[in-house]
Amino acid sequence: MTLAYGTRPVLQGLSLAVPAGSITALLGGNGAGKSTTLAALLGFVRVQRGTIGVCGTDPGAEPDTARRRIAYLPENVALYEHLSAVENAEYLLALSGERHHRAAITDAFSAAGLQKQAWDQRLSGFSKGMRQKVAISVALLRQVPVLLLDEPTSGLDPRATADFNALVTQVRERGTAVLMVTHDLLSAADVADRIAFLEAGRVTDDVAASGPERFDVRALHARFQSGAQGSTT
Amino acid sequence: MKATTLIARDELRLMARNRVAVIAFTLLVLLTFVAVLSSWSHQREIAELRQRHAAIAEAAFKAQPDRHPHRVVHYGTFIFRPLGPLAAFDPGVDAFTGNSMFLEGHRQNTANFGDVRQSSLLIRFGQLTPAFVLQVVAPLLLIFLGYGVLARETERGTLRVLMLQGASRGQIVRGKLAALGLVALLAGLPAMVGFGLIAGQPGALVLPMLMIALDYLAYLALWVVAILLVSALVRHSRDALLALVAVWAVVAILLPRVAPDVANAAVPLQNRLQTDVAIARDLRQMGDSHNPDDPHFAKYRQSVLDQYGVKTVGELPINYKGLLSIEGERLTSSLFDRYAGESYEAQVLQNRLVEATGVLSPTIAIRALSMAAAGTDFAGHRRFLEQAEAYRYALVQRLKKLQADDVSYADDTARDMEARQRTRVSSRNWQEMPDFTFVAPNGTTLARAALPDLAIVIGWLVLATLLLALATRHLGERR
Repeated sequence: MTLAYGTRPVLQGLSLAVPAGSITALLGGNGAGKSTTLAALLGFVRVQRGTIGVCGTDPGAEPDTARRRIAYLPENVALYEHLSAVENAEYLLALSGERHHRAAITDAFSAAGLQKQAWDQRLSGFSKGMRQKVAISVALLRQVPVLLLDEPTSGLDPRATADFNALVTQVRERGTAVLMVTHDLLSAADVADRIAFLEAGRVTDDVAASGPERFDVRALHARFQSGAQGSTT
Repeated sequence: MKATTLIARDELRLMARNRVAVIAFTLLVLLTFVAVLSSWSHQREIAELRQRHAAIAEAAFKAQPDRHPHRVVHYGTFIFRPLGPLAAFDPGVDAFTGNSMFLEGHRQNTANFGDVRQSSLLIRFGQLTPAFVLQVVAPLLLIFLGYGVLARETERGTLRVLMLQGASRGQIVRGKLAALGLVALLAGLPAMVGFGLIAGQPGALVLPMLMIALDYLAYLALWVVAILLVSALVRHSRDALLALVAVWAVVAILLPRVAPDVANAAVPLQNRLQTDVAIARDLRQMGDSHNPDDPHFAKYRQSVLDQYGVKTVGELPINYKGLLSIEGERLTSSLFDRYAGESYEAQVLQNRLVEATGVLSPTIAIRALSMAAAGTDFAGHRRFLEQAEAYRYALVQRLKKLQADDVSYADDTARDMEARQRTRVSSRNWQEMPDFTFVAPNGTTLARAALPDLAIVIGWLVLATLLLALATRHLGERR
């Protein structure tokens, strides 16, 4: 994928595949092109060169079709403040063309760790973690083949991060292709099957998990530090 | 359920859960109800009052004793402009132009006793009528309820959430349009109830009513589309609110106030004093019927003498004073008509200039349309003045003909009391005089008069819809 905003190149020949039933973490510093990659996958921006396939659909050409196959969790979860957690889920699922009974929704909330007393409360008083739980519950209920996560653990405490990672692992087990864009190397190493390093709009390194240790975190950290500095500078 | 319906339903749910929105909406509905009821009751009172006074004036005229017809000419009579049923919805210029006229010989009086002259200054700002509420207040409420419909979704990131659930841009915009459109319809409902009341009145014309209903529908739809357009174009709801309130202030307040002043400056209208001075000057030039050496009237006298084949006016089989009076009235009335015509033309030109600014302000266009269809615009007022003048002229000439036919020249020129007594004609003559009846225009005439402004409002609606369609294609894109 190649894409520029005006004269400023953002993606420069980025190439990446996320197989079904796997979690790929895309790591990169500020300005590396992470958010633009997600925007291109969601069909909000069109690449100037190259192709994108979301289960065979080009989101640039058929954004509505591609989006029906994607669940997306942005860094700052945007939901409706005037609705309760259950109403948010009902509304968003209905828009996706899916009808779920309240029981199914509250089961998903329970699985995501959202406490019962919050289910019927309006979201205006929710913390970031609670909002994420609502959003991930909706994503789980939608049962789409692709899940995109943008800095999902940013701002979460270690316990909430661990809970979240466990949920993402459950999603992968159902055969979902998960692409996680993150700064959080430890979280990525904990949950991802593969870690790709993004620098100046291209993947410069691609490491797959192997063995009981999965990743050499120390080496990855050093690699990430140098890459992130390179992107920033 | 379709995405459009779901989005519309959620927008309405948001409004219903917003206390400020609920209060504002309730206030508007109450205001419209109050406007409908007060306007309805006000117009009924006015109609009854005018009917009563017209009957009193007619009775007083007919109750005159036997007297010289020229005294009856100067006794005169009052006539009142009846109001059509639609005046309860939009009284138009009625409150400003005056609604009664004193008819007498040798003078063409203007209409008097407009409500504005008898009321506080507040009425000049705008009467609380259903038309005013729908033209000015309802758009402001729609702005407050709808400025954030799209900008808020963009600002909070929920626009993309909607799109990610598979809702297309078109579905999102149509859903928001449906929600705000429904609010606009509900806001207009009390006015429609008022319309229902009017429809039950005798003389209510279907075509103008349909025209008014259609136009207000288009006008509110235009505001709904414009609100969505601005909300789609900006990234922050605060910016949308500021921009929309500015547009409302210019379109609904500023231009309708400034346009008449501009028209008045561009086409100055002579005031009453200037007109009276000019008419007096022209009358002097026209001739003096009391001066035997006046060239015009000397020529007229000779033509009458020739017609009857006599040498002096005393030999005429008809009262020459009566004939002279008829001729004098003919001349002065033609002069009055000329000045009135010039004044009408200037006012028509002024109104055209104001209506031309309807291209810039749909509020001006709908105001003009509403008044035209209700028959309460300047054309309606002119219709009354022209019919009143035609009636006055016929009445005065009929009385003068009585003088010519039933009063002898000798008695009319004699100075003794007995001769004066003989100049009196029977009071039966005034009792047989026809009453003034205002002929209201038919529905087709009123509806046709409203067509140009309807075209402007619909033109605006089409333009705004096209722009919204264009903005919809780029909704949610990175800017």
